[in-house]
Amino acid sequence: MKRFLRLVPFDPWKIWLVALGLMIVLGLAGGVLVFWKGLIITNLSDWVPWGLWITLDLSSIALAAGAFSLCAGVHLFGLKRYQPLARTALFIGLIGYTMALCALLLDIGRPQNFWHPLVYWNPHSTLWEVTMCVCLYLLVLILENMPTLASWSFLRERFPKLSNLMKQAHHLAPFLAVVGLLLSSLHQSSLGAVYGVLKARPIWFKPELSVLFMLSAIIGGISLTVLASMIAARLSRQAKVNDVLLERTAHFVGYLLIAYFYFRAWDLLATTYTYAPGRSEGLQILTKGTLSFNFWFGEMIMGILLPMIILLYQPARQNPFWRMVALFLAAAGVVAYRWDTNLVGLMVVVSYLPGPIQIAYTTYHPAPVEWITTLGILAYGLLAFSLGVKYLRVVDHRWVTEEAKSLHVEAEEVALSR
Amino acid sequence: MRGKSNRIGRRDVLKLMAVGGATLVTLRYLQPARATAPTPQGKHQWAMVIDLSKCTGCGYCTLACRAHNDVPPNISWNEVSLVGELDGHLIYLPRPCMHCAKAPCVDVCPVGASYYRADGIVMMDYDRCIGCRYCMIACPYGARAFNWEAFRGPNPAVPTWGQPEVERRPRGVVEKCSFCYQRIDRGLALGLTPGIDADATPACVVACPTKARLFGDLNDPDSPVSKALREQPTYRLREDLGTQPRVYYIPPQPEKMEGGS
Repeated sequence: MKRFLRLVPFDPWKIWLVALGLMIVLGLAGGVLVFWKGLIITNLSDWVPWGLWITLDLSSIALAAGAFSLCAGVHLFGLKRYQPLARTALFIGLIGYTMALCALLLDIGRPQNFWHPLVYWNPHSTLWEVTMCVCLYLLVLILENMPTLASWSFLRERFPKLSNLMKQAHHLAPFLAVVGLLLSSLHQSSLGAVYGVLKARPIWFKPELSVLFMLSAIIGGISLTVLASMIAARLSRQAKVNDVLLERTAHFVGYLLIAYFYFRAWDLLATTYTYAPGRSEGLQILTKGTLSFNFWFGEMIMGILLPMIILLYQPARQNPFWRMVALFLAAAGVVAYRWDTNLVGLMVVVSYLPGPIQIAYTTYHPAPVEWITTLGILAYGLLAFSLGVKYLRVVDHRWVTEEAKSLHVEAEEVALSR
Repeated sequence: MRGKSNRIGRRDVLKLMAVGGATLVTLRYLQPARATAPTPQGKHQWAMVIDLSKCTGCGYCTLACRAHNDVPPNISWNEVSLVGELDGHLIYLPRPCMHCAKAPCVDVCPVGASYYRADGIVMMDYDRCIGCRYCMIACPYGARAFNWEAFRGPNPAVPTWGQPEVERRPRGVVEKCSFCYQRIDRGLALGLTPGIDADATPACVVACPTKARLFGDLNDPDSPVSKALREQPTYRLREDLGTQPRVYYIPPQPEKMEGGS
């Protein structure tokens, strides 16, 4: 057996790359099929026009929220020590937003018109606001990631001037953190409002959705950043982490989960009082119907309560395995929340006919082409992160920003000139 | 020591943001403004009245609509549903687009492809639509349908039920009833009165064999709809939602119906 292993060039890194590459090729093939044949090959319908791809959009944007939250922490709240973690979060953020754009491009009926929201404005539309903020924030993320991308050895050796210029972008970090916080607060909550403003869908029609989307995004985003750092540190020699930093951040996530649980619990309780057509049926689907397993296990028990306990109980939190489990569950809980929220409103159709309001139900199961494109986009995300860890030192807590140094030098200069 | 000119400073960031913001705003004003907020009040305010006592559920309206607007067989801009029974009479309810004065679809469209015309018609700009389908989710009346595939080949409703008067919609856009704006506009240009002259009136109103549908201008006190609204009690669908539809229904009255069914 050992001899066999020696004969076959068994390199986990290469196998990982090949596996991801295959998934991306499959996903691309699925994408071509969608553009060629149209959305008729999906299981989306006039009754359930938004499905798996929207969940992918919402989830990748939510799980990219670590970027703005940690940058705000580092640059606005003075938690300078967390700078290396913010760097990881920024890279994950860039990946997340590009993933969301890929999924959106598949999802819209006229992908060639994707640029229309930028030119034809409808400021009344929450979706317009989300699109604008996402595009602008993508620019911010690209700028924020410039110093990271500049550290690519190829770029440094072949185009040193460009690399140096890109490194300069770190001077912008504090401003970008402000702009990023503003844009993210806007669109992370507005993504909830996309659902929350629709009076025709009673289970969605409430202001809490914005708050819950925002809060859960911060939790999911920070969880994924810490989790990805821990996994990278275990699998790659290029990744170096400071476990104290990660443990403190995980502890903070534990507290955030309490706040999130408080809001979710009240949201749920308030919905149970008095019968409201459409809303009560939606609640039934969540608590007793087809989405009940997702709701109770995915969102509530495994997504909030269990990670909350693990991350707040010191011995469990300090055990890397349990900490990783908790962070994974918290991030997965956010994905489950997005899936359930989108679907529950579409599964309940409120009639427009006169007389007592009638309720009809719809179903949705993603088609194979939706799955393979989704997996392809996920594989792209994993590939980009893996390459980032290996070639851009995305997870490297020894990495020190030049900002601190240059600020120091500048201060001296000023002192001397006066 | 690096010179100051080589650094990107706060002023540069602010300048950059100002330029970016100005560019965005310019982009916005390069486009013709379109009503996506409170309905502008034009000279005409079109509305429809449907008498449920007269509707027999024959579906001629749906077919005439398919022909005149070149709608594919799997989509109905005007759906007729059986809603119940009253004294042995089956009650049908036709549902065109409600052309709401406070339309959720216009509010949510990220590109302003759904908009208000000055005469109250809620229009679709099929060139602008990106096919995100948010309007379908927002519409309480299920009045919108998505073109999941391209509509190719002959339209089975043509020529029996009429000739297409508008362009066929491409794959990937959301479509809906337009109150036959093309017939209204052409009719007005020819000096006709929509609601009175058949050539200027929506195809479904003209096709109805029992004259269950009335069409006309709310600003004109003598129009068929103004008269009907004055003389008979009417209601609109889901008025609780505050959408203020322009389609009114006269509730079914058994004494007005012929025979049993």
